[in-house]
Amino acid sequence: MNKIQGAVHYVANNRLQFEKGPSPFDPQKSAADQVGHKYKKQEQPSLEEILPKLETPAIKQRLDDLLSRYPEPQGALLEVLWLIQEALGWVPREAIRYAAGICECSPVHAFSVATFYTMYKHAPTGRFLLQFCRNICCEQKGASNIIAYTEKSLGIQTGETTPDGLFTIVQVECLGACANAPVMLVNDDYATDVQDSKLSMLPGTSLNEERVDKILNWCRERAKNLKEEPTRDALGGPILGHKGHPGAPGATAKVQSKNYAPPSPVLGVQAALIDGGVQVSWKCAPDFTHLLLEKKEGSIWKQVAEPPVRTTEIIDPSGEKGSVYRMIATSGERVAKPSLEVEAK
Amino acid sequence: MSTETVKVCTANFGKGASDISVYKQLGGYSCVSSKLFDLSQFEIIDIVQRSGLRGRGGAGFPTGLKWSFVPRNTDKPVYIVVNADEGEPGTFKDHFLMKEDPHRLIEGLTIAAWALGSRTAYIYVRGEFLSCIETLNKAISEAYQAGMLGENIGGTGFSFDIFVHRGAGAYICGEETALINSLEGKKGQPRLKPPFPAVSGAWNSPTCVNNVETLMAIPWILENGPEAYAALGTLQAGGTKVFCISGDVKKPGVYEAPLGVPLMELLNSPQYAGGIEGKLKGVIPGGSSCPILTAEECEKATMDYESMASLKTMFGSGAVMVINETRDMVPLLKSLGNFYAHESCGQCTPCRDGAGYVQRILQSIHKGEGHEGDLELILSLSEQFDGTTICPLAPSLGMASTAFIQKYRSEFESYIQKNKDKKASRISSTFRPGAFW
Amino acid sequence: MSNYYDMPKLPTAESPKVAIFVDGQETFVPGDTNLLEALKAVGIETPSICYHPFLPVSGNCRQCLVEQEGPRGRSLIISCFTPVSPGMKVFTPKTSLRVKNARKATNEFMLVNHPLDCPICDKAGECSLQANYMESGHDSRLRENIGKHYHGSPDHAFIDSKGQTRGGKQVVLGPRVTLDEERCVQCDRCVRFMRFVAGDEQLQLASRGDSTYITTFPGQELDHEYDLCVTDVCPVGALTANNFRFQQRVWMLSRTPSVSMDDSLGANLWIDHNHGKIWRLMPRCNPEVNRSWISNTSRLAYLNFDKDRLEAAPIETLQSTVFAAKKVAIVAGGACTLEDLAAIKALQESLGAKAELFGGTSIPVVEPDGISKSGDPLANRAGFKAMQVPDANLQELLQKISDFDTLITIHSDLIGEDPTFEKLKQIPNRIVLSAFKDCTANAATLAFGVKHWTEVSGSMINSLQILQKLNAAPTAPNGDLKPAYQVLFALAGIEITEVSAAWKQVQDRIPTLKAYQRDSILSTGLKLEGVV
Repeated sequence: MNKIQGAVHYVANNRLQFEKGPSPFDPQKSAADQVGHKYKKQEQPSLEEILPKLETPAIKQRLDDLLSRYPEPQGALLEVLWLIQEALGWVPREAIRYAAGICECSPVHAFSVATFYTMYKHAPTGRFLLQFCRNICCEQKGASNIIAYTEKSLGIQTGETTPDGLFTIVQVECLGACANAPVMLVNDDYATDVQDSKLSMLPGTSLNEERVDKILNWCRERAKNLKEEPTRDALGGPILGHKGHPGAPGATAKVQSKNYAPPSPVLGVQAALIDGGVQVSWKCAPDFTHLLLEKKEGSIWKQVAEPPVRTTEIIDPSGEKGSVYRMIATSGERVAKPSLEVEAK
Repeated sequence: MSTETVKVCTANFGKGASDISVYKQLGGYSCVSSKLFDLSQFEIIDIVQRSGLRGRGGAGFPTGLKWSFVPRNTDKPVYIVVNADEGEPGTFKDHFLMKEDPHRLIEGLTIAAWALGSRTAYIYVRGEFLSCIETLNKAISEAYQAGMLGENIGGTGFSFDIFVHRGAGAYICGEETALINSLEGKKGQPRLKPPFPAVSGAWNSPTCVNNVETLMAIPWILENGPEAYAALGTLQAGGTKVFCISGDVKKPGVYEAPLGVPLMELLNSPQYAGGIEGKLKGVIPGGSSCPILTAEECEKATMDYESMASLKTMFGSGAVMVINETRDMVPLLKSLGNFYAHESCGQCTPCRDGAGYVQRILQSIHKGEGHEGDLELILSLSEQFDGTTICPLAPSLGMASTAFIQKYRSEFESYIQKNKDKKASRISSTFRPGAFW
Repeated sequence: MSNYYDMPKLPTAESPKVAIFVDGQETFVPGDTNLLEALKAVGIETPSICYHPFLPVSGNCRQCLVEQEGPRGRSLIISCFTPVSPGMKVFTPKTSLRVKNARKATNEFMLVNHPLDCPICDKAGECSLQANYMESGHDSRLRENIGKHYHGSPDHAFIDSKGQTRGGKQVVLGPRVTLDEERCVQCDRCVRFMRFVAGDEQLQLASRGDSTYITTFPGQELDHEYDLCVTDVCPVGALTANNFRFQQRVWMLSRTPSVSMDDSLGANLWIDHNHGKIWRLMPRCNPEVNRSWISNTSRLAYLNFDKDRLEAAPIETLQSTVFAAKKVAIVAGGACTLEDLAAIKALQESLGAKAELFGGTSIPVVEPDGISKSGDPLANRAGFKAMQVPDANLQELLQKISDFDTLITIHSDLIGEDPTFEKLKQIPNRIVLSAFKDCTANAATLAFGVKHWTEVSGSMINSLQILQKLNAAPTAPNGDLKPAYQVLFALAGIEITEVSAAWKQVQDRIPTLKAYQRDSILSTGLKLEGVV
């Protein structure tokens, strides 16, 4: 049934155009779809081939660190996929399944996440991934010309890799550097120029044909001098000193305790002498569930009253000049530190 | 208007404040001391409410009010999530703020954590900002070492952790519920509301999502008092705003100015953008989602929530995009169409299929294959985006394209005109869905 | 999808009635449910695509929009996610042009990327999208040729950058399910079914925007005992069952409501048939029993219902054998209805002391799966108990083989289920009343063909003590075949041709059923109190 003929042709949809060829309005591909080889099957490595790269002590340590940051392992899914992309250069299928195993979610969930976000690459890219912004600010400043120029000078189309494996061009949406429009990312670095033999994005500089050439030459030069692109931490380096989310499975810190953040102490406590005792007043926080008024007798504190939580004053009939008071607030099961001590005057 | 603007968020720019010792020398972390911990939670929230601070991410929701929604006495942990998924075209302030002054964000976060009773915070940074993440991680590590984070900060019994979460390329994760989903390791798709995140957000726990700039204003407010902050802005909303000025101006970049500054001053004053290149045609005042202003409208516009609303546009995230007379509006709107179709999360039908549809029509107009009536079609479709979706992504496209088409209609028509003769000679093969039935 | 909310609360007979204002008119609706169900309860249909009463709400199709008056004026809300609250003011398309336009627009948006190939689509006739479209989509504003471009024939299938085969007319998702990707409207019902009902997340929506597509993990097949249910929940023709694909147009089928007799939960079924042939079995919604689900085993069993059938024999041969016997063992099998059991009892009574009753099955009882199976293969076990027919004494029969000279089995494949019953061949006269030429029938001295349970009217009591009704689908391969109870009653000397007469016999033997007429049993069954 290669060609549907006759009546069926007309009723079988305006879009199922068996004889008309491709639609004139093929939308621009998303960044993730651009990378890779349209109509070519991407060879997927087997688990055995990628495991040696993933099961290194360094990655294992970082995985433990990541998993300790979230109350559920699935929270680390995006980060784990980043680690995989750092180690392999892209996210092959079996690696996605591996990530799902670490994050305790179903493989197809991990797959849907890996395809939802456009920065995960589903095919190997060139050594320098040139991501050109094509959004409104850059478009206004001539991004399409710059992209066309780069495509022409490298002899490839968007989404393709040069034969020497150096460059891959993709078009992405706003990169968040509109003051320098048009801009590009070379791997993870913003680039509008090369300065001191480094990629740079100084205020006021934007891409033009000359600078694109400069950047491309910088890349070629770097490829000559450095055999391999040094790996860069996909998660921006470690955070030292944290002990993990208290509720995380296998967290190094203690389990989540209810008093990790005590409520504020009672504030603004004042004691004033009036007829018939001492009037103690204070400011009440909405989160207090219980209040205690204590009086100092000798060196020990003795409870004198439990004022209702919504009130802001109470009279202690036994109070006299010189009595010292303090208040303690409770919020749920969390007890605040005592308020400042005040003396009745 | 004073000539020397008070700098709230950008005060430490260019001073190397990403190093903790420099930041402390500049007066940083002075709030995270006895001063903060002697204030009760409700007092901080009250201070923030009195300062008139409104969310700087785009929606402009009063921050103090948002904080007051977070429930007390829950069994669940309270999370604070910093929204640094800056993706709105034209916006690039958070990038610079985090890069130049990460400790101020940490300080603001600590104050927020104390106010909300939170133990854990996540900074959700968009994937492209790897260098920002490196800066942040370094700064957070420094703060841990200096005892500003971690267990039992300053002997107060208050413990607080900050983690950085790297996004992976999805504009929609700037929507708070989508961001929470992304944090949970799911696809970034906005959630139905209620429940709102303040009640049930990340891992079904109360979650407060704040923009970077919002939190960075908090230390200043605590230091100088809410009244001082409120006095900087307009009557309805206090403070300063970090504007991102891009496009056809002499000095595009990040500038902090008080709320209520006239738009033309922002564009022409030497302390801000330094003048327009060429003749002004239009300005998108708050990021791509906000309807464009024509040159005449720009003259009377001031940069605050009310003035923008009266001009039927939005204050947004403070991304001012300046377009001069030489620019063609059709490719600009086309690239916006591409953007929204590409960034639609694929959940709601009107957005998923409708945004893609509008994108294709815009592409066909741009290619010179537009039909008569296409503009009316886009306008009427835009109407149908409004209020029919979970999040405001599709309505944003609707608003933006409506404004573009209404204000610069002749340009779009001239594109369609090119196609008219061609179309007249072509035999129409019109088939409408449903003709058979 | 990422978002999962709670199961919708469905209205029940006990739901409180609350007053809401629909189009300005005070209307009393069930108060503990969502707006969509509440409106449905008072006869206002709201079109929907992603909403399914037995799946968690997802709220992504935006088809069920209504307008609600709130503090800040009227706004559009989705009725499937909005709980009913007393006094709420809602507006339907009847009075609100905005709702009408919004629903129409949503439908149009869905059609942008939907091929409308209804004439060649298996779902046509029972498609939600088609129904909505017939209501609102006739005069579309949309320009032709602008939807997503699918390469819609098998040789246009392409391999995308993730290495997955896509875009062909059919994508083979698994051994039983085929995907036509261009018809998918991304409602994620199948995703939710696999995740929350089947409990095995095998499907997901990958990618985003309008390039979202439904997929398994690449290289993995959709394979689950309940995977065919995804073809039921699919509101369009994207997921189709291989067993029904291109077999029949659904409007050509007649539907007979019945009950599956292979499990004691008695999953409710539609038997879809025409011209004397069953084309498919579909789950019939019964909130108490199987909700909307049936297992593949029950669903695909029909493929064998017309194969290897036994022929009817003259009843005289049966009579002569039975009445000449000295000691008769009567074995009742799993698919016996209450009527069959009543007939067995009648036969036993007429034979007197020389007859002994046995019943049960050798198939082991397993754990319930929580969806549509109780795990007990003896479908009518509660009925056996109510009728006081033994339901688990087949081993006794094996021990007492030598006592009997005649064996009658009814709907019971003793040897097929457990080969040790080969020993029964020692009994000289072996009579089998069965629909199929099964192992026991092959070993019989007299195999007597009767109607299969899909072809008889009757009743059964399921494991939840719900009396359920079977209705006869006119699909018997041979007009001479009779229901087993008719043959047995004839043996016992009672002339019965109508099921209503057989029901009277059942009532005589189970006094608690006296109160119920057969016609008063609802299609969703009748909850019995204290029969057993």
